[in-house]
Amino acid sequence: MEPDLCRRFEVAVSADPGADPGEMARVAMVEGGRIRQRRRMGVAGSAAAVVAVAMAVGFANTTVRDGGGGAKPTDLVAAAMRPPAPECSPDPVADGATDAVIYLSEPTDRELAEVGRELEGDSRVGALVFESRGDAYERFVALWADSPDFVAAVRPESLPVSYRLRLNDRDAFAGFSREYAEKPGVAQVVGRVCPAGAPVGGVL
Amino acid sequence: MTETVTQYRPAGDAGKGDTGKGGWGAGRRRAKAARDAEFTAFVEAAGTRLRRSAYLMCRDWHLAQDLAQQTFAKMYAAWPRLRTGTNLEAYSRKVLMNLIFDQRRRRSASEVVVAELPDHAGRADGSPELRLALVEALARLSVEDQAVLVLRHAEDHSIETVAMILGVSESVVKMRTARALTRLRALLGDDLDD
Repeated sequence: MEPDLCRRFEVAVSADPGADPGEMARVAMVEGGRIRQRRRMGVAGSAAAVVAVAMAVGFANTTVRDGGGGAKPTDLVAAAMRPPAPECSPDPVADGATDAVIYLSEPTDRELAEVGRELEGDSRVGALVFESRGDAYERFVALWADSPDFVAAVRPESLPVSYRLRLNDRDAFAGFSREYAEKPGVAQVVGRVCPAGAPVGGVL
Repeated sequence: MTETVTQYRPAGDAGKGDTGKGGWGAGRRRAKAARDAEFTAFVEAAGTRLRRSAYLMCRDWHLAQDLAQQTFAKMYAAWPRLRTGTNLEAYSRKVLMNLIFDQRRRRSASEVVVAELPDHAGRADGSPELRLALVEALARLSVEDQAVLVLRHAEDHSIETVAMILGVSESVVKMRTARALTRLRALLGDDLDD
């Protein structure tokens, strides 16, 4: 029935009176400019932070495509929602990363604890920070304060928990990432190249 | 003649050296013109489909136009951050659906985005029955059901994309789609089954 439904949708919109897209864009730029203006005056503080991370934050482009290509939406959302720290490489790297974020998608308590234990005992790991779903959501809301629509559409449970860490030796990343990506509960390992003072994990 | 080239400034510096208010250099003006051109191209490419989807959700072409317009204004406000690499189509659907969800939440159920179902006796263009049957059946579903049907079946987005747009899991999308299809089929008297 799907093809039929699709055709019926076509018919349903066939009385479209049309609209001038150029005009639509022009009006949107005027109104959008006003929205931006209002925001700039209203939330000067958070606006500065948002400007600082105004970079390629997309729905899809920040995930590492690892051949399989089947990243789950939570991973996509997470990767997109957490912009890289400005001082780190904007795009994830496959090797040579100094910092990494290990995203876990709906792990069991045991899986979560197990990954944490392994990381704590891993000599390749320097600094280690755990970020709960609640923490992730809080950060997300703060970062996207100027896009209330976007914030409203993302629920805390759609954000993954993560371990953020700094490696002692960046040459270890490729092997490290392969190893942890295999572990139960782990959705994705995202590595970035960061200078020493960057936030651990390389994301904001 | 030498051109003034604006230096690339790492994002971390944004704001620091930003003293020249109103004194926009030629480079910055060019950058804005390029952004605006990109934005216009996006609106031209996406406008019609977005407006049509809005129509399927609200059954009123004027309101659909207005919703599309608001969506684009919001996107323009965020454009410097959005334009690189963002899945703009999906983002625009997310903004649109949120606008619609918001409106419905604010108004009472009877006063949905567009009010009661019209009796369309007066419509003389084409074959209104065929055209309106689906839209009216759709209007009797919950806004969530409408959204999955429009995104999945009118727009043909993948389950993954719809999940992202609606901020729910893929299994919720699958379940909701199946449920919405069943309801729609019942409302249309099963004549969807070829």
